Amino acid sequence: MKLEKFSGTREEQARGLAKAMVGMYCEKIEKARESIHVGGRKAGLEALEKFQVQGYAGTRNKLKGNVSRLSFYIRHGVLGIREVAESVRERFGKSYDAIKFWQELGWRQFWRHLYGLWGDGIYEDREAAKVPLGSGTETELPAQITEGRTGLVCMDETVRELVETGYIHNHARMWFASFVVHFRKLEWRAGERFFYRHLLDGDPASNALSWQWVASTFSHRPYLFNRENIQENGGREWCERCTAKCPFDATYPELERRLFSK
Amino acid sequence: MKTGVWLHGDSLSKRDPALRNYPEARSVFVFDRPFLEKAGLSFKRIFFLYECAVEAADEMRVGETVEEILNWMGQEGVEKLAVTESPSPRWREKVERLRQKVEVEVVPAEEMVTVSEGYRVKRFTPFWKDLGREWS
Repeated sequence: MKLEKFSGTREEQARGLAKAMVGMYCEKIEKARESIHVGGRKAGLEALEKFQVQGYAGTRNKLKGNVSRLSFYIRHGVLGIREVAESVRERFGKSYDAIKFWQELGWRQFWRHLYGLWGDGIYEDREAAKVPLGSGTETELPAQITEGRTGLVCMDETVRELVETGYIHNHARMWFASFVVHFRKLEWRAGERFFYRHLLDGDPASNALSWQWVASTFSHRPYLFNRENIQENGGREWCERCTAKCPFDATYPELERRLFSK
Repeated sequence: MKTGVWLHGDSLSKRDPALRNYPEARSVFVFDRPFLEKAGLSFKRIFFLYECAVEAADEMRVGETVEEILNWMGQEGVEKLAVTESPSPRWREKVERLRQKVEVEVVPAEEMVTVSEGYRVKRFTPFWKDLGREWS
């Protein structure tokens, strides 16, 4: 069936599309909204031109750092991966920042290569976990987590941003994944589904294999974080608003003892 | 032979390599109904794809991808299909089904590095050391 183009503002077009695609997305129709991030090559090229690589290496782990936010354009081939890499080379030359940025694009190539080899095998544990994981078989995360009601401001705000905008910073993804898999002992595939549903850059291989990297089923060790790490890279604002007993306020050896002792 | 281009979710812009090989060709993008009904993506993702497709494709369709492409080819008088390669198993399965009915030319995707057939590593560090020299 042919799908006609909708006219009007983005909001009006989104309303038209939501009606035409009922049953093909997870929200109720009245909650179906467009993201603040605009699709299409015109928007992608504008974002690419705006991106300056200086400072990338030193600040990319900070939530407010100089990251490109080009992932959704690259994932959908709106910008070519080589086009992005070459744009940085032409505009800024070879520098420590550029090399770090290219390396991050390289991760995407690595995941893509493995997807070609493994296909749906990306959803199977690639290796035995290096630490005890949960033994559940849940396919969905609990509503308390996906609706941002854990009481942990850092996690609830991460979920809110993801659901509202379709994008979160890579470090926030890592914290959330580690929280789900290691602190809550939930099945990594349930978290993977949740991200895939909402991330505008949701890519089967990058997403599933990154969850496995956190879980330690595709890495040498599990990824853990603590409150100090959140404050250093995300600022103190979340913690200042939080009244929950913080499960992340500990040293790494203490967390490992707490989370991984049988 | 009149060629048409199938644009999919891994290659959804005018930069699509198949479209660049056939710049005059008509192009189509399909929202795959069976997949979307099962995947339960957020509407934001669907709308993002829509915004990409509006700019990139001559026609957008909703339904089962292979059926929709074949119908579109009939409607446009297109005899051969060109499409950019994807590692997705769903994409491969669709190409196989299309090939039972029409000629399909698979165009290599744009890559940053070249991975040769049979290359195998288990971790990123050796992968990038071997293949990322141009970017290191």
